[in-house]
Amino acid sequence: MTAALTPSTLELIARAICAARGLAFVRYVGAGAFKETFEVEQDGVPYALKVYNSRNNPERATREIDAMTRCAHAHIGRLVAIAVHDDASGRHAFSLEEYLGGGTLSERLSTGVLPPAAVHTLGVALIDAVAHIASLDLVHRDLKPDNIIFRADGVTPVVVDFGLVRDLNASSLTQTHVMQGPGTPLFAPAEQLLNDKAMIDWRADQFSLGVMLCYCAFGSHPYQTDLDSPAEIITRVAERAGPTSNFIDVAQAAGLPALVRMVAPWPVQRYRTPSALARAWAEQCPTSAEDS
Amino acid sequence: MPAYHQMGHDSENLLLDSGLTAFGGMIISPVNYSEPDVAAQIAAIRAVDEKADFDIVFDPQLYFPRTERGCLREWSYFPSDVDTADRSADSWWQSMITAIVPTIGRLHVDAVCSPAEVPRAYPDAYFAHAVDVGNMLADALRDTNIRPLQTAIIGLAELSTPRRALAVASIISATRCEGVYLVFVGSTEPRRELAHVEELKGAMRLIHALEREANLPVLVGFTSTDAVLWKAAGASSVATGKFFNLRRFTLSRFEEPGGGGGQLPYWVEESLLAFLRESDITRVRGQNILSVASNSNPFGQRILERLAEQPGKAWVALGWRQFMHWFADVEDLIESRTADVRTMLREAEINWRDLEDADVLMEEQRNDGTWLRAWRRALAEYLTH
Repeated sequence: MTAALTPSTLELIARAICAARGLAFVRYVGAGAFKETFEVEQDGVPYALKVYNSRNNPERATREIDAMTRCAHAHIGRLVAIAVHDDASGRHAFSLEEYLGGGTLSERLSTGVLPPAAVHTLGVALIDAVAHIASLDLVHRDLKPDNIIFRADGVTPVVVDFGLVRDLNASSLTQTHVMQGPGTPLFAPAEQLLNDKAMIDWRADQFSLGVMLCYCAFGSHPYQTDLDSPAEIITRVAERAGPTSNFIDVAQAAGLPALVRMVAPWPVQRYRTPSALARAWAEQCPTSAEDS
Repeated sequence: MPAYHQMGHDSENLLLDSGLTAFGGMIISPVNYSEPDVAAQIAAIRAVDEKADFDIVFDPQLYFPRTERGCLREWSYFPSDVDTADRSADSWWQSMITAIVPTIGRLHVDAVCSPAEVPRAYPDAYFAHAVDVGNMLADALRDTNIRPLQTAIIGLAELSTPRRALAVASIISATRCEGVYLVFVGSTEPRRELAHVEELKGAMRLIHALEREANLPVLVGFTSTDAVLWKAAGASSVATGKFFNLRRFTLSRFEEPGGGGGQLPYWVEESLLAFLRESDITRVRGQNILSVASNSNPFGQRILERLAEQPGKAWVALGWRQFMHWFADVEDLIESRTADVRTMLREAEINWRDLEDADVLMEEQRNDGTWLRAWRRALAEYLTH
């Protein structure tokens, strides 16, 4: 059995890539299940260098890179280059992407919720990004605040990390017998949690986006009662319990009623098409700070 | 939407019948007619000014594909390898859709149902594949003015499982087609009514989810008096044919000879939501419970005249027309909210009770209205949950 490469090994590979490509290594940024990200520079321009762990599900790396190559949208991370690096430990895929310097949505939410109007503006941008992903028959499957990073202007949100992307025109990489499909459970819909593969389409991303926007607006999950732990919330989602009546009232009061349908337990109960979601979202009238 | 005429064997003479003008569309049957026959039927319809908006739907009828299925083999889209092909392969279905498109182009139809076969079981993967085929059809028709309809075939027993309707609707609603052509498959024998509460409730929930949640217009095919339940659940349209006073959509239906649906005449009676034999009509009339719909049905009046003037003379063809006239009429009344299905069912059950109290029994032993309890329960529980 071969041991997985250690983080320090991937950093050594990142440094070697920089040396070979004329890039300046700046710092380690973070790690995901299949890759590590580093900030690098070339001619004063920062980039995100992502080095894939070649011994950990190379198919997922291929799918991610393929998805990012196909996406071209203002609110989706831009791929600059993809290549492989060979060394004594093997062949390592890596990608060079635009560096997003405005921090994550998670970091922003750590200081408190956003006003309804700001949530509305954020939703417009992210719904447009999800619509673009859906138009390519792709499902991101891991939309969450950690995977929304702002550009350096501080206001333009960008969807990143296509590591769990599903291509609806390609065979699934998740075995049918698996109890739970990939994704971050707290933001995943029931069909992902239960690995109901035939039900997974862009409406799974709609659910995750809805949950994320709920955290932005209200600081809580729409299925959460006061005393629920994250595990209990996930159980309620998996049981398709539906959003709480309190959440429904709060969403209506905030002028964001579309959130209720976005997080409906069954895909058929959500907006059927991205254009229907975009229309419904645009028609909302979020309350101003003075109103609330 | 008006009712649709489900074309069957020897049905073309009903299309232009002056007493059946309330039908707003037809579903073509390639099993019973060749392409030239269908082209002639469509030309006849298109030549009538009043039928300018008549909606002509083509159903490829591959529910149970095999070579010896009526006229199907004569149609150019019908695959030559149907008995031997791997029908789980997308490429096989794509080839058929490629062949269907020029056929329907020649016929100038308004809509076409995606080809689908009746499966042995109904797992999620079956519905997902049906949607894949529907999307192939939608893509093939993208640059035409022909509406693609997603065919969804489902066993009623499947829908008796709680939540199954929402799961199926979730998969089906991923279609890129503009509407859903819904076919319920059951095991109900001819001259029996659907009577399983959970199945009926699940079927209504499926219709509701597709229509009201996903905003997909639903056309329920192969219906009979049960159409009142589907309309109550919000179905945009329902279809019937002259033989559906007797038959239901079952697997055994395909085993029957293609020569029609039996020769006994039946009268549909709205006040009982039932079909009556000749002697039953006399008994029911004696109790003064014939409905307003029956009394105003022109074919019903002709049947009564026939019974008075020529007792014993066959009236099968008038019976078909009396049923179809009622079907289009009641569809319109429910659609326009002039008739309330709950009230209709309640009154029908009361009428059956009154007949029972008066010891008025129908000719067929099981024609006793007991299914109405199941229908009422299904509707009540559907409406409250």
